Amino acid sequence: MALLPEVKKDYGRLKNYVNGEWVDSTSSKDLDVENPTTGATIGKVPMSTADETKAAIEAAQEAWEAWRETPPITRARIFFKLKELMEQNFEDIARIMVQEQGKTIDEARGETRRTIENVEVAAGIPSLMMGYNLEDGAAEGIDEDAVISPLGVFGCIAPFNFPAMIPYWFWPYAVATGNCYVMKSSSQVPLTQWNLFSLIDKAGFPPGVVNLVNGSREVSDTMMDHPYMKGISFVGSTPVAKYIYKKCGENGKRVQAQGGAKNSLVVMPDSVLNRTVSNMLASFYGCAGQRCLAGSNLVAVGDVAGSLLEKFVDASKRIKMGYGLDESVNMGPVVSAKAKTKVIDYIDGAEAAGAKILIDGRGAKIPGYEKGHFVGPTVIDGVTPDMKIAKEEIFGPVVSYLRMDTLDDAIDFIHKSPFGNAASIYTQSGKDARYFRHKVQCGNIGINIGVVAAMAYFPFAGYKDSFFGDMHGQGRDAISFFTDRKVVITRWF
Amino acid sequence: MAEYEFPECTSFGSVIRFALELEKATSAIYDDLAARPELASTKEPLKALADSHRKRSDILEHTRREKLNEMILEPIQDIDSSNYVIETEVPAGVDVAGAKEFAGKVELTSSRFYLDSSKTAKSLLAEAARILERMGKENEANKARLDAL
Repeated sequence: MALLPEVKKDYGRLKNYVNGEWVDSTSSKDLDVENPTTGATIGKVPMSTADETKAAIEAAQEAWEAWRETPPITRARIFFKLKELMEQNFEDIARIMVQEQGKTIDEARGETRRTIENVEVAAGIPSLMMGYNLEDGAAEGIDEDAVISPLGVFGCIAPFNFPAMIPYWFWPYAVATGNCYVMKSSSQVPLTQWNLFSLIDKAGFPPGVVNLVNGSREVSDTMMDHPYMKGISFVGSTPVAKYIYKKCGENGKRVQAQGGAKNSLVVMPDSVLNRTVSNMLASFYGCAGQRCLAGSNLVAVGDVAGSLLEKFVDASKRIKMGYGLDESVNMGPVVSAKAKTKVIDYIDGAEAAGAKILIDGRGAKIPGYEKGHFVGPTVIDGVTPDMKIAKEEIFGPVVSYLRMDTLDDAIDFIHKSPFGNAASIYTQSGKDARYFRHKVQCGNIGINIGVVAAMAYFPFAGYKDSFFGDMHGQGRDAISFFTDRKVVITRWF
Repeated sequence: MAEYEFPECTSFGSVIRFALELEKATSAIYDDLAARPELASTKEPLKALADSHRKRSDILEHTRREKLNEMILEPIQDIDSSNYVIETEVPAGVDVAGAKEFAGKVELTSSRFYLDSSKTAKSLLAEAARILERMGKENEANKARLDAL
């Protein structure tokens, strides 16, 4: 099928957005932005300097006083305008994401919708940010109020797998509550945020309220060290999440750091197999397995193991790979050559450890896209809980198939993982589902759902090594993270 | 000569793309018929049918944008799109009876596509399934309108 048109072939060298203006970075170091499907270079992203990062933080700090005094309803109005602009540019947002990240157009459209939903929820800030009070709360004639106040400047260090949505778990809530913001997008996928900032530029935010700095670790470290920064939101791998949590803690900053995952999907003998298999395909192979909510371990409980495996393998073989701008494609490539090598190493390791590769995605070749970083759907049978492939995050379309005797065995297995991001059960038993949701120590639980992606008005949770911090992104947690409570006790003589 | 590309239906997006192609082709068929002097007696109803199919494209675009949700982005593996490809070139010189027969076949094929897709979509997106089902029934109603000409 013909491809949907690319928005542009080459986006040139990206600029930073600081104090309401597009500015060139003075850095002499650029990285190429690669289309992971075609291998073509589609832009250049500068590795901005510490001084450039400081300039953005200082612009945000300078804008803060006036912005926090802007009435919440006025702030909300700008978010309504931003939503309108995003709707008008919906398809371009999605297609640029496909170009730089490799996901399918359906996935990109779904992500664009979720990105907009966060703007919609943040636009409800006059209601979300209301404080509370108690007349005569302190004593007779003395009232007590809790006022919700913004804190200053916050920032986000964004990952590559959801170039549009993840920064929007954070910044709309920060800015709607009256803070100012500095964003560092992923240097692997900077085009989507660059494009979204062109809409932010038109929406009517005062200069300095929202800023974008392209770059890498130097930008992140400067954000975490700068005294004006009140807090950092991060999504990425567990080692980096730990580093950020520690560094922000040492510097007295708030932090929400989302780390890696190793999610198990548990299938009970009473599950509705056809629907279960279909739903699990989206979990294991969606975004080529590159999401922290992706299924990684498929755990069959009891005598369902044989029939489940047969159906799952058959359905996996029919996954269509290709360029995500072809609407009939189910799965695109992984994001880079390095990511592909890492995934293949895990499959090699499982094979060497004695597991059986039932479907092998290592040699995937897509005609016309020989330079693409494709790894095909891979199903590995005979995986045991002690194998590396059952324990570590792979971030690719690889399914480790495990067999357990009982639901308790499956839950014990889940609990042995250092991660606690998500787990799902497929069953028709309300009792088993309730037991699973109560027992399992993971932040996101699915009952007959393999991608447990919280909507904008719920927190994106995570336990154990999958999350470091107290309050999550999105929803009421986000409002709490970006604000503090100021208690006022009043008496009139 | 207009060209239409009917994709494999392997994803929600490709089902909607197939439907959009159907609508584009069908409205063009009615436009073509309405412009033919030999069919002047049926010009207005044929134009109305063309307009109604154009309007349906807007509904489909809206459905694609508003209803896609990553939790239910499951691959679709049970729709064989080759069963629903329509004939898009109206033969020259058809009379009213011939036009009714040609367009009627298009409407019935489309109806089958929408009703079958609706069954698949039901397990993914209930709202989208309702929209597809409604379109399938509209196709049946359009066929009845043609028969009454």
